[in-house]
Amino acid sequence: MDEHKALDYALAVMKNLNLIIILYMGILIFNCLWGYVQENSALEFLSRIDTIPPAPWKIPVIAVMTYSGCLLLMGIRGLGGISLISKVAVEMTLCFLVSYLLGFGYNGMLLLVLADTMGDIPKMKRQLPFAAVICMLYLVVDFDLFSIYHHIIPFDTYLEYYQRDSRAALLGILNVAASLNTLIFIIYMVLLVRTQMNEKERIMSLNAQLNTANDELQRANVRLEEYARESVKMTETRERNRLAREIHDTLGHALTGIITGIEACTALMDVAPEATKIQLSAIAEVARQGVTDVRRSVKALRPDALEKFDLENAISRTINEICTATSAEIEYICEARLDCFTEDEEDVIYRIVQESITNAIRHGKADYIRISIRREQEMLKIGIKDNGIGCADIKKGFGLHHMEERLSMLNGSLSYDGRDGFEVKAAIPIRWGNGGTER
Amino acid sequence: MDGNRKKRNVAAGVLCGFLLVCAVLLWSDLHRMIPAGGERELTIGVFSDSYWEVQNGYSYYILNDAIELFEEQNPGVKVTYVSGILKEDYSEWLSEQLLIGEAPDVFFVLPEDFNDLAELGALKALSPFEESAGEFSRDGFYSSAYGYGQYDREQYALPYECAPKLMFVNKSILDREEIGMPAEDWSWDDFYEICERVTKDTDLNGVPDQFGVVNYTWRDAFDSNGVELFGPDGEECFLSGASVREAVSFVDKLESLNSGYSVATREFDVGNVAFQPMSFSEYRAYKPYPLSVKKYSGFEWECIPMPKGPSGDNISSLDTLLLAMNRDTKNAGYAWEFMKILTCNEEIQSEIFAYSEGVSVLKEVTNSERTLAKLREHVDDVDILNHVVLSDAVEYAAAAPRFRDYDDAVAEVDRAVRDIIDGNSNISTELTIWNRTINKKLKNHGW
Repeated sequence: MDEHKALDYALAVMKNLNLIIILYMGILIFNCLWGYVQENSALEFLSRIDTIPPAPWKIPVIAVMTYSGCLLLMGIRGLGGISLISKVAVEMTLCFLVSYLLGFGYNGMLLLVLADTMGDIPKMKRQLPFAAVICMLYLVVDFDLFSIYHHIIPFDTYLEYYQRDSRAALLGILNVAASLNTLIFIIYMVLLVRTQMNEKERIMSLNAQLNTANDELQRANVRLEEYARESVKMTETRERNRLAREIHDTLGHALTGIITGIEACTALMDVAPEATKIQLSAIAEVARQGVTDVRRSVKALRPDALEKFDLENAISRTINEICTATSAEIEYICEARLDCFTEDEEDVIYRIVQESITNAIRHGKADYIRISIRREQEMLKIGIKDNGIGCADIKKGFGLHHMEERLSMLNGSLSYDGRDGFEVKAAIPIRWGNGGTER
Repeated sequence: MDGNRKKRNVAAGVLCGFLLVCAVLLWSDLHRMIPAGGERELTIGVFSDSYWEVQNGYSYYILNDAIELFEEQNPGVKVTYVSGILKEDYSEWLSEQLLIGEAPDVFFVLPEDFNDLAELGALKALSPFEESAGEFSRDGFYSSAYGYGQYDREQYALPYECAPKLMFVNKSILDREEIGMPAEDWSWDDFYEICERVTKDTDLNGVPDQFGVVNYTWRDAFDSNGVELFGPDGEECFLSGASVREAVSFVDKLESLNSGYSVATREFDVGNVAFQPMSFSEYRAYKPYPLSVKKYSGFEWECIPMPKGPSGDNISSLDTLLLAMNRDTKNAGYAWEFMKILTCNEEIQSEIFAYSEGVSVLKEVTNSERTLAKLREHVDDVDILNHVVLSDAVEYAAAAPRFRDYDDAVAEVDRAVRDIIDGNSNISTELTIWNRTINKKLKNHGW
């Protein structure tokens, strides 16, 4: 930021230096004109010039006023487009007027306008046309060129009032000041270019940092995915272990009891048929206990949603969740009652819907899914169709396989088609209403 | 932060606009449009003594009458002028006023200053006023006098008074030599013949003491031989034409009559010279006024037009005092009205014959019987002034070209003619060489 301070400082010095130069020239012209009048050589002066200048006191006053107006305009920052162009145009016009008033003896204000404009425009590409136009004007603002078309009194003619020596000294002072102005302009431009280069470098290094961070993020993402996969596997393993334990604890226990009891019955049957009966009823009790345990275990494995809500709510809830979680749009049409199914039927229906949506989004990349549930005679028909990429050559994964297995347990059927998007159709026989209710 | 910057930008813009408006007001002097104290002031630039170098004591009479008339017609406008500026200081005074931006709205312009002032843009172009004002008619002026106010094909000034150059004849000498008065359309040959006859050594001391003419210059010869010396823009000089050659040889011939003796103006005053070209104003200054010194009392004299050359007419140059408007005047309408009163009002113009020595620039006034009566008031010998001679001399006066370097160019031509007459080389060749030199200077403005 020190460089910016140096830039501001250089610009301020230029502004003040130009003010001093303009004031100096204006006062010199005033002094000469006044001198001609005082020394009664106005007639001789008029015969040497082509036009009558403004009243002597007006020249420094108007020049300084016009220059101050130009400075105020320079204070307006951060414009763009047309307003920037018109601002610079007005600034150049004002400088031209000041130069004109001073007999084209000095045009360094244009360098100031150039410096200021370059500092105000951040982009190098946009700076070029402005710089070109201002430089053109700087080159063109010259007495000889304009005196062809317009009557102008050159600055030197005013100065002829002075003796040769003092004229040389006065012009020398002006030239030194003008050179100083040019020098500061060059310093300013060098500083400006350096600042802009540094800025560029800084942006480039920031960019590099961003890229590195991006790479790291990507690597982290990959690791996270691996971790997620492992996590799924671990969960599966854990679940499997729990299931094994559950089976061991319930079915295993019951079956072991039943086997042992039946073996005892085999031995006892001929010797003590009464005792065998008692034993068998005990075995039946064990088996019943086993069934109860199995039911409890199964219940413990039910999906969460079904645990808390009825089937219809559970399905709509799941759909809503997915809708909010992904960008996919899901149309859900249910034309059948869903409140009369047994728990395992509910499980199957819920699992089919859930699995199909998951498949459509994960594998099909679908953003539109249509789910319909309706009753056709004694069958409940579930259709899930998506607009995803589909699958020409279907390899049954765990999901489909699992669905098929579950459906066949309920005497249902499953068909699917992956040519236009992916469509799953499931049919489940309805047992309620014809006495087939089973709890 | 952004809002602050916006506010700052707007404030800077407004302040800048205000400053620039003030600068424009100052530069264009528009603040002067506001009349001070409800009364407009019209300022006039005028010199105190007569343009014709005569101290007649009537310096501001005509102007004061015009002011009275103007203020009657335009109530609420006050006309002022600075009095006491001598004619010799007037040009410098006017230049100073122009430089400090205090120049009067309307000012008199001496003929020698007109080109410079018009070129500088100090004078307002008058054609817009002439076209818009219904009652103004340029035909009322002598066209030659009116033409003196033109520069670069634009009218910048109106003529106020003028004086043609006439040939004064010493009748006593002609009578003595038994020569009749020349006719009004006399030619160079007549002129030369008379000069040849009167030039002699009367006291027989070996030196001629009676001469034909004094102060007859190449310019008089050029004017009366139809020489157009410069192009209209002053970019070209026509020194090598036949009419120029005729004029130069004529002047050469006349001078050689005196056999090297240089005749002084005093010789005419004491009655030893037959002819002298003189401005009409001089005639009026010295002839009619009883109080003025009777310079030419020792002999009878009369004035007639200048003799005509083979390619020209009996015409001469015209001395014209002009009236112009300041380009930066804020009272242009009133200024124009005032200029019209001074130059076009017949009452005011006829006062020229009473209080000044010039001739009115209005044909109507100069030709009127009343004017003739006024002119004859103080003239003992009525016959010496031929009314038609005067009017024709003004009407057909030679026009002076208008360009900035005119005076320098004329000085150069003067050097050329002097050089040719004094030398012995071939006039045509010399004129061609000089023409080339002067043309070069005219083109480069290198004087």
